[in-house]
Amino acid sequence: MSFWEYLGNRHVQLLADTLQHASAVLQCMVVATVLGVAVGVLTYRSEWAGDLATTAGATILTVPSLALIGLLIPLVGLGVAPTVIALVLYGLLPIVRNAIVGLRGVDPALIDAARGIGMSRVRQLVKVELPLAWPPILTGIRVSTQMLMGIAAIAAFASGPGLGNSIFRGVASLGSANALNQVLAGTLGIVVLALLFDAAYVVVGRLTTPRGIRA
Amino acid sequence: MSGSETEETKDGTRDGTADEQGPEGTAAGTATATATAGDPAADPATDPANSAAPASDSAAGPAASAELAAGERLRDRLTWQKLTVLPGVLALVLLGTWLWFRDAQLDTITRNALAGDIVLLRLRDHVQMTAISTFFVLIIAIPLGIALTRPLLRRATPVAMSFANLGQAVPSLGLLVLLVFWLNIGQNTAVIGMVVYAVLPVLANTITGLRNIDPGLTEAAKGIGMSSLGVLTKVELPLAVPLILAGVRNALVLNVGTATLATFIGGGGLGDLIASGITTQRMPVLMLGSILTVALALLVDWLASLVELVLRPRGLEGTS
Repeated sequence: MSFWEYLGNRHVQLLADTLQHASAVLQCMVVATVLGVAVGVLTYRSEWAGDLATTAGATILTVPSLALIGLLIPLVGLGVAPTVIALVLYGLLPIVRNAIVGLRGVDPALIDAARGIGMSRVRQLVKVELPLAWPPILTGIRVSTQMLMGIAAIAAFASGPGLGNSIFRGVASLGSANALNQVLAGTLGIVVLALLFDAAYVVVGRLTTPRGIRA
Repeated sequence: MSGSETEETKDGTRDGTADEQGPEGTAAGTATATATAGDPAADPATDPANSAAPASDSAAGPAASAELAAGERLRDRLTWQKLTVLPGVLALVLLGTWLWFRDAQLDTITRNALAGDIVLLRLRDHVQMTAISTFFVLIIAIPLGIALTRPLLRRATPVAMSFANLGQAVPSLGLLVLLVFWLNIGQNTAVIGMVVYAVLPVLANTITGLRNIDPGLTEAAKGIGMSSLGVLTKVELPLAVPLILAGVRNALVLNVGTATLATFIGGGGLGDLIASGITTQRMPVLMLGSILTVALALLVDWLASLVELVLRPRGLEGTS
């Protein structure tokens, strides 16, 4: 069976895997973004706390994904739970790091001006600092997403959802007629998803970057 | 944002300073943007590893002198903590694991999975695959990065960079398994896959490092009569050392991680313990494999960070 015939025959299953993969990554990215920006906002003012958050995140990223998933299985079992926890943890670091760098990079005179016109601390953060720090944060989100695409594939070994299942089906049936097609479909599906997400972020970046700092 | 704009227009002098700082703000913005532009190439998965390192490197660009002075102090301050904390924690964890296993009641399947010196063999496989693949990554990526930044090939640089970025979208698992159809299963295939996967980020790091060098410095070197080889070895490479070392560290950590996937293509390594622990539902095997892998990854990253500190050219620290 050629690859195209295979795609035609199995498009229902493959589409379901693709959608699951995309939705798992998307949902974990939303959680990671909220948590990451929150950690960034809470820590960027203190040199000590900011560095600690960055170092802790870097340490987690050093841990191979299969090993982290392996450590999570005795705690939370197989399936969706270890996948979601692992994806959120890995997605955090680039966002936290870029949020801290971005927030620390905001010109103090602008914050001073915001305080001068009577903005409260929260309003300064929401109206001035976060919009100015948004481009680096968005870059962090892009980096995270691309990484999570690959990690989600590995999580399929712990019965996680997504296109990794297609790859592992191919591994399990090495030598059979469809093994190559299965692996190819899973891998190319992830590549296409990664590129689509990346393109979407470019559009999101255009729409959400404040006009004053657009390049 | 709109609030601060009205504030600016209200007061002429405030407007002036705001304007003055405007470009500076945007300069910092573009600096982080380039840093991050380098980032996806440098570290998507890496991002994993070198995370902290490249970030500080790229930050060194705009605020060079302050950042470097801080780097010097950082080095003094970090020495003993950096030397002791991580190895201490790892030693405690490994000791705890060992003590637990010594007293644990293990069933037959678990004992079979860990029989003899199988754990040590897997560990050795893992270290071996990581070392070999990192070696090949370095001798491929660094010369290639140097070649791609020479005037003759400079036009190819953007192509190589976008290729490197695109390559990051390929999942490591898919890449390894696809190689099997071409090269058969086994450790060699795993090593080749690891090399292919890690070459791109290191290449991107090398190119970024060489391209970000102040052209004034290379001009000055040419001006005092250095040959282009002299400029490369005496000026460009030493200045690019921090980024190249970050790339090396990145490659090492990536490879430790990718080596865990070798088990799926019959390559052995610590992934064997994790995978068999999951498939046979034996948590002790799974935990042992995972703990050893984590410890190895953190240890390798720690060693690489020490090497990074030691090999960083003196001229890049303390002075401005």
